Amino acid sequence: MKIETTDPVNHPELISYRRCTINLKTGKQQWKDVPCRNLEDVLGGFGRSFQMLAEREIKAAYCPENPLIINTGLLTGSSAMTGLRTYFSSYSPIKGSKAGLPAAMWSAGSGKFGAKFKWAGLDELILENCADTPQYIVIRETGSGPHIELKPAEHLLGLSTHDKIMTLHKEYPDAHFAAIGQAGENWQNVYMGSVALSTVNQLKSGDDKLRFAGRGGMGSIMGYKNIVALVAQSTDKHTPITPEVKAVHTQVIKGGGAARLQPIKRGGGGGTWAAYDVMQPFHAVPVNNYRPQGNDLPEKLFRENVEKEYDIESAACHRCGITCHNYIYDRKDDGSRGDFIAKFDYEPLNLLGTNIGIHDAGQAGRLIHLCDNYGVDAISMGVTISYTLSYNERHPEKPLFNGAVFGDYDKIRELIIQAGEGKLLDIGQGSMRLSEQTGETGYAYHIKGLEIAAYLPETNPGYCWAIAGGHMSMGSYGTLIREGLSDVDSWVKVITEDKLHIVGFDLIGLCKFFDITQGIGTDKITTILKSDFNLDIDPLKIKEAVRRSFLLGMALEFRQGYTKSDFSFPAEVANEPNPNIELPNISNPNFMNELAEKVWAVFDKELADMI
Amino acid sequence: MNITVSLHGVFRIDRFKLKILEYPEGCCVQKVIDDLQIPATLLGTTLINKVHAKSSDILHDGDTLMILPLLEGG
Repeated sequence: MKIETTDPVNHPELISYRRCTINLKTGKQQWKDVPCRNLEDVLGGFGRSFQMLAEREIKAAYCPENPLIINTGLLTGSSAMTGLRTYFSSYSPIKGSKAGLPAAMWSAGSGKFGAKFKWAGLDELILENCADTPQYIVIRETGSGPHIELKPAEHLLGLSTHDKIMTLHKEYPDAHFAAIGQAGENWQNVYMGSVALSTVNQLKSGDDKLRFAGRGGMGSIMGYKNIVALVAQSTDKHTPITPEVKAVHTQVIKGGGAARLQPIKRGGGGGTWAAYDVMQPFHAVPVNNYRPQGNDLPEKLFRENVEKEYDIESAACHRCGITCHNYIYDRKDDGSRGDFIAKFDYEPLNLLGTNIGIHDAGQAGRLIHLCDNYGVDAISMGVTISYTLSYNERHPEKPLFNGAVFGDYDKIRELIIQAGEGKLLDIGQGSMRLSEQTGETGYAYHIKGLEIAAYLPETNPGYCWAIAGGHMSMGSYGTLIREGLSDVDSWVKVITEDKLHIVGFDLIGLCKFFDITQGIGTDKITTILKSDFNLDIDPLKIKEAVRRSFLLGMALEFRQGYTKSDFSFPAEVANEPNPNIELPNISNPNFMNELAEKVWAVFDKELADMI
Repeated sequence: MNITVSLHGVFRIDRFKLKILEYPEGCCVQKVIDDLQIPATLLGTTLINKVHAKSSDILHDGDTLMILPLLEGG
């Protein structure tokens, strides 16, 4: 980016970003230094891409006019810890309204691709139209600026995400990569394809330790455009960390939500996986398609039980001190570490484990591994599978597909393989469409067409107002368990004021664990912006920009045919209250109706002027 | 008075899962947290008899106090 002001709020036009638009049909490239229109443009990510998507009327996700926008945030590749994010934005093949229109969507991922992309001199890449033959795109730093080249990709077809990346790594050893798997290649039958992003650890170890922009089928859009991978080749350009930024990093590691995520040996809670231990006392861990049974089954995936049999390694992203995740390995007979199985994060572990009746860590890990390698969103896949298993439990005489039931590892694995390879559209299209086909929509756990995360709807009314996935775009998922809030007015504040700010991280280029409780409108962020770019910004102005971006996302939902009735839970939640959940009932119709009325009273006024 | 203390997650490490502890009348939740040296940065939720409680809430004989780590993120 070119920054010629210290005041991005009043003079965003003095900051420009470098964009390349490629018409994939003709191969023609258009380069431009684009002056920012507002602070959202400066911050980047979906704050910028959604303004572009708003300018287009798209009636089908798979159409040449639907762009795939790949960009970064202002702090991607900066000295800020977690500054590794890449964003993929488009109209989604999986998230769509009942009117049949696709929703605007973004998905974010870490790995080192985003930093390399920016260090190559590029801030945004827009892919228009579709290539006639499979291609990959090389973005290269040169003495005269960034250079982009399309190359034939036949040799990459049919490979997993990991194998595509490792094949390209041999040819471009100093680069990082974004790649789709077989799921994205078979976009016609898989609407939930993800984009895999390479990591330093992956390229060094050879293990498939990738990161994913998983949600919303951005990998399927990439596959539709006949682009199977992106290569970002540049030298590393790490900004020196000043004492001010170092002090911020110390606050991040020791405070807020990040302390819980630290490894146990460092006095932390042991990563996102630890959510199991906190939710189970309330019988609030999703079991068998979001229906906990009030028993101790989820405890089988407690860390203390898993580590009896498997080897666990705490891990962090490149140059990040938060250490949020864990890798799980087989353990050899002699007690030493065996083969790598999978990355253990709470969401995929639950949705491909306990919530489909799988209580063995190795089996759950292998299903996660399959999804990662096919390049398919573990959340959407897990929930569509759990819907299938629930249907089969209700209809043993006429089950779907291979008759898989909860806990049947072999048959569940078979379904994931078929769907991941594009041979099972009924699952690859997601739970909304599958449930409409069966006629039993009441226990399909999606909201607005996108499968919910691994928190019960009974614990999180905020899901309904999330704009791009339940837990990544509305940070209210732990509120009931953590604070016990059970009055409507508190929840109105949670949804309309506090927890929508989680999306700020998907503008600026940082991971939400940087400061999950406060968002990006803080002194921590302004300190880094001053240190790295000599920018002076009032944190309140950042908050206003985040709110405008969130509301634009919601306005786009309405433009694409959503109605307020779509902002609701699956019917089962109200019709068959689960007596096993030991928390105040805040998902009953009376509560939800009053909440909706009050939330819309706040949002309606602001939405009126958005589009 | 006797308080049944139930610990969860990492708070069990080098402590216990469930234990009956003796405290003087009028003691509050924070006193138990301090005695058990639960780190403030990890402390998430406390419940008395399954109802969310504050650290200043007074305990009574026979109460069950649950102490859970922070739930934030996923």
